[in-house]
Amino acid sequence: MKLCDFVIPADIDEARARLRELGDAAFPTAGGVSLHFLRFAEPKTAVDLTRLGLSGISRDNGRFTIGATTPVCDLQKHVAEGWVLDRVARRFVTQQIRNISTLGGNICRVFWWSDFPVALLALDASVAVRGESETVLSAEEFLARPLKLLKPGTLVVAIDIPAVESGAGFGYGKETRVGSSFSLATAAACVVVEGNRIKQARVAAGASLSMPQLLPAVGEKLAGETADREAIEKAVATGTEGLAWKGREGMSDPYAAELSRIIIADAITDAVAEART
Amino acid sequence: MSTVKQISLTLNGEPKTFETTADETLVDLLRRHGYRGTKTGCYEGACGACTVILDGRAVYGCLLRAFQAHGRDVQTIEGAGSFDDPHPVQRALVDEGAVQCGFCTPGMVLSAKALLDETPHPGSDTIKEHMDGNLCRCTGYEKIRVAVEKVAASTAMP
Ligand SMILES: Cc1cc2nc3c(=O)[nH]c(=O)nc-3n(C[C@H](O)[C@H](O)[C@H](O)COP(=O)(O)OP(=O)(O)OC[C@H]3O[C@@H](n4cnc5c(N)ncnc54)[C@H](O)[C@@H]3O)c2cc1C
Ligand code: FES
Ligand code: FES
Repeated sequence: MKLCDFVIPADIDEARARLRELGDAAFPTAGGVSLHFLRFAEPKTAVDLTRLGLSGISRDNGRFTIGATTPVCDLQKHVAEGWVLDRVARRFVTQQIRNISTLGGNICRVFWWSDFPVALLALDASVAVRGESETVLSAEEFLARPLKLLKPGTLVVAIDIPAVESGAGFGYGKETRVGSSFSLATAAACVVVEGNRIKQARVAAGASLSMPQLLPAVGEKLAGETADREAIEKAVATGTEGLAWKGREGMSDPYAAELSRIIIADAITDAVAEART
Repeated sequence: MSTVKQISLTLNGEPKTFETTADETLVDLLRRHGYRGTKTGCYEGACGACTVILDGRAVYGCLLRAFQAHGRDVQTIEGAGSFDDPHPVQRALVDEGAVQCGFCTPGMVLSAKALLDETPHPGSDTIKEHMDGNLCRCTGYEKIRVAVEKVAASTAMP
């Protein structure tokens, strides 16, 4: 038995109160999909988070704010200028999983295969966390230790990302054995291109690393480079030196490194192509 | 000890109240109450046999806990159509010879229905994208694809 009881709070104050009361015996439940992968020493009480008014996507001042319990299918179907998360959502399998899993759930308990942490790191997203007060953290700060930050009664309420506007581009790459299997390599890139040069780049990768992570050295190597495949591959090769790659599903570590470099270069190439249109 | 609690939901258009525990999956609750058209295969979100429609969206009944459906609208295959009055997707699957053992069929019908209810005339890529969570071991998918595309191209949706 994983769960011994459930409560369905009607608003965020009630949810936070119940979570504080229950402490470690609570399991804040958004889509609840991660329960499939978890084992608990003692059964927990599920505290439903899906009716707290924390779902939806809005746009203000060139940024999108996404409620924590927004399901992945809403990210998949959202259409707006500068909106790029539909491309990540489409690689998140399957439709039934996209229909239940939430963005918050995907970033609060991060697995090596998790898609959105990689994208949010590249997009320089921020994460709004509600405890006694509301704190806004960069995706990098938050994703380094989400479960440690989320003390009982503390919830992620929203995720904020920039609209990818003209001159900028985004790319997301994911390699799997078959469409519905776990990722072997994931990568995301966000670039700004000026003329024929990459002005700025943020690149992140996951799946073949222990956890999704930002690759600042790749971004630094790309800045000022010509926006062509050769320069991109060179920056990826030198910027990923020394990383501890991990082969999944029987893949060797060196193969994972090679595969990942290609997926990262592809994501950057796609981002550059978009920035130029 | 699991606490037994009541949940209320709309099932195939009718208000219903059930007793459940936090660990019970939606598919187990449904089958326990005789809605056996919803199948169980893998129990791990891989095959789609347990697909039901929750608030208009296809979901895996084996991953969803029953309490998550409290206050929501649930449709099972029993509500989609009948032998005498099949749903257009059911009719098309039969016409195209897209049903062999039939184990995947309730899930296929509900995934297609959820999509067509939301988007009556989806393109081929949208159909593929929305039906990526249903496996079929018999048909090779081609006939299923043709059947759903036929319904999408027609005006037969109620
Ligand atoms: C068959 C299958 C296929 C999958 N495919 C993919 C895939 O392609 N890509 C991918 O990235 N993932 C995939 N996943 C899902 C993924 O691994 C996660 O389990 C899922 O994203 C979790 O989302 P959820 O809304 O269900 O979160 P939950 O399971 O409800 O929660 C996850 C964790 O976050 C906490 N939490 C949730 N929301 C909040 C909040 N607002 N504030 C504080 N804490 C919170 C919960 O307490 C829990 O610890 C797949 C899972 C399965 C079973
Ligand atoms: S039984 Fe639910 S997906 Fe296979
Ligand atoms: S008809 Fe047999 S599994 Fe699809």
